[in-house]
Amino acid sequence: MANRTVSTATAIHGTNPQFLIDKLYRQRIYDSLYWKEHCFGLTVTGVMEKAVDLNSIGGCYGATNRPSEFICLLLKLLQLQPDRQMLDALVDQEDFKYLRALALLYFRLTEKPAEIYSKLEPLYRDYRKLRQRQMSGKYKLICVDELVDELLRNSSICSVALPQMTSRRKLEDRGDLAPRLSPLDDDSDSD
Amino acid sequence: MNAYGGDKKNSNSRRTWDTAVYEQKAREREQQIKDEEEDEERRRKGLKPRARPGTTASAKTKGLLQARKQTVNLEGMVGKVQVVQASSAASGQPGFYCSVCDVTVKDSLTYLDHINGKNHQRMLNRGMKVASETVDDVLAKLESLREARRRRDEQKNAIYDFDEQVRRQEMLQAERRRRRKEAKKRQKSSKADTDGNYAKDGDGDGDNDNDDDDDGMIAMMGFGNFGSTKNA
Repeated sequence: MANRTVSTATAIHGTNPQFLIDKLYRQRIYDSLYWKEHCFGLTVTGVMEKAVDLNSIGGCYGATNRPSEFICLLLKLLQLQPDRQMLDALVDQEDFKYLRALALLYFRLTEKPAEIYSKLEPLYRDYRKLRQRQMSGKYKLICVDELVDELLRNSSICSVALPQMTSRRKLEDRGDLAPRLSPLDDDSDSD
Repeated sequence: MNAYGGDKKNSNSRRTWDTAVYEQKAREREQQIKDEEEDEERRRKGLKPRARPGTTASAKTKGLLQARKQTVNLEGMVGKVQVVQASSAASGQPGFYCSVCDVTVKDSLTYLDHINGKNHQRMLNRGMKVASETVDDVLAKLESLREARRRRDEQKNAIYDFDEQVRRQEMLQAERRRRRKEAKKRQKSSKADTDGNYAKDGDGDGDNDNDDDDDGMIAMMGFGNFGSTKNA
């Protein structure tokens, strides 16, 4: 089936990775025209090609709760399950901000809390603007660092429920994570 | 001998069937259904499907799932009538006709479901698995995307050079004129071969001699041609 997770995928948070997007939402994506027409048979590089052309992030919008292209591509990534190296390549690249936003959300959904903190926190320095499509269908400006902040603090984004995060302090106490170095400290030192 | 050329003793004129072949087919079909059921059962238990010598060979020849290169043109045939050479079931109704599978579906969403479906892909000899990629593919793709973006930006930011544009247009038009003359000449000469009225043209170069005026006018008006596809 075109909607099936790849056979080599491993369970994430104990389930099929596609189940990270809840059932009603997922079904709406499967039924959407963009999914059927543009997301069929995509590989990871195909998703990249589409993500580069995105012009907004967001979940469902409009009166009919239409799923955005961003969320369709996110589900496609969950279906394909790119490995960690590929994901790192997508997050680390600097040229395509929407591709990075997509990879960030995927990272937040699938990785472990300590990894998430260490990967996402450096991106507080990315101040590029993104357009976010709100549920009303209107756009709102948001910067990548705001997105990162929401990913680290909020329990949901783009109407996708994010897995529970362990608090940073707990991870530090346990020794899984080094204390955070704020880039602002560097600046004040150099002054 | 009877009237139908058959044996007199066995005097029915009905068609005969090769029962052995059909029996074999039925057995294979039954076996396949049984295998699929078993695989489904195993999958539900979290096991891999049982390896069978016959099926693995056919799975190997099956290609990988491919994404479509173009978008599906759903509105392209609006208002048109197309005569399809189809089986009676498929040709009887209006809708989206799939020439690969010889089926007609009622609406665009069903059509998309159909072309994304297993049966259609099977007709194209493709499985439902996509190619697996590595980090190298991803890096190469990133590089090519960067390159594409750089090229596009270059094009967008290129300084508009009027003289250069004029020169290019002139070259294009000269080329077009030359090709048209050649085509006309070829047409005329082939006509002359058939009915021998080549000498009717005054100067014998085989055209109407007002091409240049036309082109001059076209250039002055600032568009390519008058919209006719005749001589394009």
